[in-house]
Amino acid sequence: MGLADDLLEDARHLAAKGDAENRDSCRRRAISTAYYAVFHLLVDDFVANWPFLDQRARIARMFNHQRMRDASFAPKDKRNPTPVETQVMDMITAFGQLQGDRHRADYDTGWKLVGTDVANAITLAETTFSKWHAVRGEDLAREHLLSMFGAKR
Amino acid sequence: MYLPSAVTKHSEIEAAIDEVETRLSPDVVRIRYEIGEDWSGQWAIFFRVVLTDEAARRRLREVATNVVWGLARQLDFPAMGVFPYHNFRSVSEQEALREPAWA
Repeated sequence: MGLADDLLEDARHLAAKGDAENRDSCRRRAISTAYYAVFHLLVDDFVANWPFLDQRARIARMFNHQRMRDASFAPKDKRNPTPVETQVMDMITAFGQLQGDRHRADYDTGWKLVGTDVANAITLAETTFSKWHAVRGEDLAREHLLSMFGAKR
Repeated sequence: MYLPSAVTKHSEIEAAIDEVETRLSPDVVRIRYEIGEDWSGQWAIFFRVVLTDEAARRRLREVATNVVWGLARQLDFPAMGVFPYHNFRSVSEQEALREPAWA
């Protein structure tokens, strides 16, 4: 298993611990970790295609959270997106949601977290893993990942 | 000061919410929203969705996906200049917290 899979598993463990011990810090770490699982899923996928092994970590560190979220994407026909376009749009929405929740979990002590917030983050990350695995070989998905890296269109 | 066009589209947003609430009833109890800046300073629309305890506990991903898509199908968020966030809680969770923004 890679880092992304490990982080997703960690998020589940933290969520379970948060429930079992009614511990808000674990719930917050679960949400944060779910985001980082998706973050590393995408980054690791991108750098895996870089041929120079010793440079991959440096390439990975060039990813910027906000730039990744703001990478633009629009289906050719807004009213009738293709299945791949739909999956990519789902991934974009999920990434932004998880990133926003991660920020609140880490910094907003006024956020009254509930179990549904944690369950939503975990299941959203799980679904994003599945969707990304389904489309990661598609040109459209690879193009968007390049945009998330920061490449202009 | 820049304001996204979403701030002028409350009736359109309300209509979309009504449609989603009706279509996904009884799982979706109510949807509230507000427009503001998110953690990065980008304009966003924050949906707060109250679900039945049953839906939140047993069908969260399915219902949440239907809510997200139901709203996105009717509201062009990029054209409105906002990024959509959706947060969910159950009726029991809201009863315990009694947050006015979710009522």
